[in-house]
Amino acid sequence: MQFPAPDLVSSRRLLLITDQLPAPADFLLHRFLHLHLKQSKTAKCIVLAVSESLERWKSVASKAQMTSPQNTNVAHSEFFQFIDVFDQHPPSQNRGEGHENKISLKCIYDLLSVKLSDSRTNGQIPLVILDDITSLEWFGVSLLDLSRFVRALRTLCVKMDAALVVRHHIITPPEPDALLRHLLQLCTYHIEVRPLASGRSGAVSGEICVHLGPSMKDTNEHVISRTSALQYRLTESSAVFFDKGTSTGVL
Amino acid sequence: MSSFKRKTLSGRATLPQGTRLSPFSTSTVITSTGIPSLDDILGGGLPLSCSLAVLAPDHHSAYGELVQKYFVAQGLASGQKVCIIHDEPLRFAREGIWMAGSTLSTPAQASTAEDVDDEKASQHDDKIKIAWRYEQMKKFQTTVSSNSLNDDFCIAFDLTCRIPTAALDAARQSAQLIPIDVDISEDGTAVIEQIEELLSNDTNAHAVRVCIPALGSPHWGDMQPPTVLTLLHSLRRLLHRYPNACASLSLAPHMCTDTWGGPGWVQKVGWLTDAAISMSAFGADPSLSSLFPSHHGIVQILTLPAPHTILPASDKYSTLRGLSSAAGTMGGSGENNLAFKCMRKRLIFETLHLDLEGGVTERRTTPASSAMALDAGMAHETIPATILATEGRKGSLATVEVEFEHSKDVGSDGPTRAMADITADDSLVPAKPKKPKKKVAFRSERPDLYDF
Repeated sequence: MQFPAPDLVSSRRLLLITDQLPAPADFLLHRFLHLHLKQSKTAKCIVLAVSESLERWKSVASKAQMTSPQNTNVAHSEFFQFIDVFDQHPPSQNRGEGHENKISLKCIYDLLSVKLSDSRTNGQIPLVILDDITSLEWFGVSLLDLSRFVRALRTLCVKMDAALVVRHHIITPPEPDALLRHLLQLCTYHIEVRPLASGRSGAVSGEICVHLGPSMKDTNEHVISRTSALQYRLTESSAVFFDKGTSTGVL
Repeated sequence: MSSFKRKTLSGRATLPQGTRLSPFSTSTVITSTGIPSLDDILGGGLPLSCSLAVLAPDHHSAYGELVQKYFVAQGLASGQKVCIIHDEPLRFAREGIWMAGSTLSTPAQASTAEDVDDEKASQHDDKIKIAWRYEQMKKFQTTVSSNSLNDDFCIAFDLTCRIPTAALDAARQSAQLIPIDVDISEDGTAVIEQIEELLSNDTNAHAVRVCIPALGSPHWGDMQPPTVLTLLHSLRRLLHRYPNACASLSLAPHMCTDTWGGPGWVQKVGWLTDAAISMSAFGADPSLSSLFPSHHGIVQILTLPAPHTILPASDKYSTLRGLSSAAGTMGGSGENNLAFKCMRKRLIFETLHLDLEGGVTERRTTPASSAMALDAGMAHETIPATILATEGRKGSLATVEVEFEHSKDVGSDGPTRAMADITADDSLVPAKPKKPKKKVAFRSERPDLYDF
């Protein structure tokens, strides 16, 4: 079973990935990255990272055998760019009054627009991954700022023909929080990674469902309903996908 | 255990003292937390550049601080640098634990209570006739103990032994132990800056352990949830930048539940640390402690460290969790429930299983004599607690009143009263005594006949 289908990540789409603590979706982000980089030699990938370190991205990529020449020096490769959200400060900020770790969303937006416009001539779809917008909310960034930021990112990616992937953590499972409701309004597809109700297991680490966003036409392409969810099992650098009831232990 | 074979160092710079390569991924360097069973749960040990959060929501015990004491002792004993961040770090260090046999008390004393029990149990086991096909199997183990394979990786500490002042002074002199005070006037960022200064000045030869035994205790001031989360996140980022350090912190008990930080608080802590466990002690709930008399609390695993791989090492290598035998080939069984108990000399994490009485040997239809009719009592204990919790934030939540339709029974009288009257007292309503039911057990006068 192949997940994601090859054209799920395509230009001008916002893919919202939600996950929960027992079933984190970082493997999916890594997988999108690897597939995108494998797809063409000049495909560009930008990661806006809040929680994971560059070290982890690099080491998982190397374990997944992404050792093509452009990845040997991934940090400086022009095709994979890692932007640490907390390292961007506006140059005019008065250090005396602000904290070192203050997040400036405007800075990130400007930086991203510069990087995306650089790659415009390429002809390839750039992929932008925003890892973990929820942590920004937890640190005290207001909901208004965040929803504006996501809207701005979305329009930027639509303008630049880029694909945007945003990860959001759900901490109160049945009820959507305010940020999730905003994100759901914007997204093209909502990929939901859920743990099994019976807890962790050796054969199945969780399941994936794909829902349509509100702006999509009535199409059933790529949709995976909850009842026929795709299950996965984590491996060292990736995941193995299978339909319900067809894991290796059963067949 | 064969899974922890020491790998030969192949062309890699020598590892810092007290650490070794993870058997799961050669790019990960792990170090011991001081408790072998906790190391097993984490997948061999705590990887460097990872942070471990221990939540212990019970107000009346200090299991979180106990885990930190092990952490500090292990760091000092294996020659690593230890940094303690506390309002009185030296006092915390003086109360630390140490290895057996290093103090005046003779280690070969009369055996302690649990040792005697172990001996008796092993003698008793020999008398049981084991069916021939199972004779070759190992004894059922509920925990892992430190093996003598790597003596310097995880040292056996004794809770009854206090750290000798000589060792403590020597550590201070040689700057192995670095205390950092927490001032009530500062906020979390100052602490992060001090840790950063320490880590940047340090050469890469030694592993550094950062220990925060009581994050959120009164000396930290009035901490708000975003401050705590920012602190956790900044600490994690710092560790990513200085990968020869690791951190272990324990939150103050009132901060370990969702009642303090809002819905989903514990999950937030789990997301912002690399490894997080929650040790919920049975202290407050007598029903649980009578259900599981040999354990002191339940362990809930929130996050597991996976600094260089997708799959946490614990999923493959943890014998306590029991997933490794199930992965892939044989199809999955769930993981074991975990509990901990604090014995006189050590703290261990074990798998939690039903008692013999609840097992398959006796089909029981009477409740055991030790188990009182606790159902009504248990409902009483928990319902008032949740009511009181929501009462505290009355302004933000709508008050909901639930009424039972059939409120005539004795059993449900209690809950109805508790729901309707917010200021209900917590006294237990005596439940109607149940008639003792017949007990069915399989016993035979001729044991040889049914000897299989």
